Amino acid sequence: MTTAAFGADSEGHVDQLYVETRELRLQGFLLFLISDCVLFSSFIFAYLYLRNSGQGWPPPGIQRLDTAFAAWNSVVLFGSGATMHYALENFKHGNFMKYMWFLLATIVLGAGFLGGQAYEYNHLIFGEHVTWGGSGIFGASFFTLTGMHGMHVFLGVCYLTVLVLQSAAGVYRGGQYFGITAGTLYWHFVDVIWVVLFSIFYLL
Amino acid sequence: MNPATIERLGAIIGGIVVAVVAFYALYKDWHTPGVENNVFKLMLLLLGLGAVLALLAGLNVVGFSPKGA
Repeated sequence: MTTAAFGADSEGHVDQLYVETRELRLQGFLLFLISDCVLFSSFIFAYLYLRNSGQGWPPPGIQRLDTAFAAWNSVVLFGSGATMHYALENFKHGNFMKYMWFLLATIVLGAGFLGGQAYEYNHLIFGEHVTWGGSGIFGASFFTLTGMHGMHVFLGVCYLTVLVLQSAAGVYRGGQYFGITAGTLYWHFVDVIWVVLFSIFYLL
Repeated sequence: MNPATIERLGAIIGGIVVAVVAFYALYKDWHTPGVENNVFKLMLLLLGLGAVLALLAGLNVVGFSPKGA
């Protein structure tokens, strides 16, 4: 919630209310991230269980996934985590223009990652005929987990776009920037989930 | 240069840059207190490790590439 949403009075009660509720909102947001982590964990452990209960991996007729493009695409996403971190740091230090540029760079890199994922899906589905429903456990787990992650990245890009618009409108100022902190936490979370997915699908 | 080589080069260069940036940010923020800063530190550490993994994949130390390169 922002300053504008609280409304202000002449005695500065907005700041007081912000300070009083900030910790609660932070805890609520961290609980949301933990619940999302549980969601991903259940799918990841199901995948690992199924992977280890079959006769070798990947199943017969399916090639191992190519690491080269995935590594490049991962670096694009991890790079966006770094730019998001510096966006927040610059906002904290009052460098508004640098903050905006880093935020825009994060959005571009996030969109680039989604483009890369679309390219890989296209290659897998039409080039290697690996599909969600027609390639057994492998296809189902791969498309479910990476698709769920891709949806999180897409929602993150939307969220960061809203942050750009809100920032341009002057919603966040001074020490009141919980929306940006939440955006940074969410974006780092999305990055970290990809570290796990990249490892289990491409490196193991 | 074939596409796989370009992808690997991108992963290597990008992996080094992101790992250095993430670990440097972690080093700079190491003494910052508070819940959110500690979460940021954990996530920066994992981000740096992810970048190292991507770097190793680019170097063909881990992972698999049917195209060679």
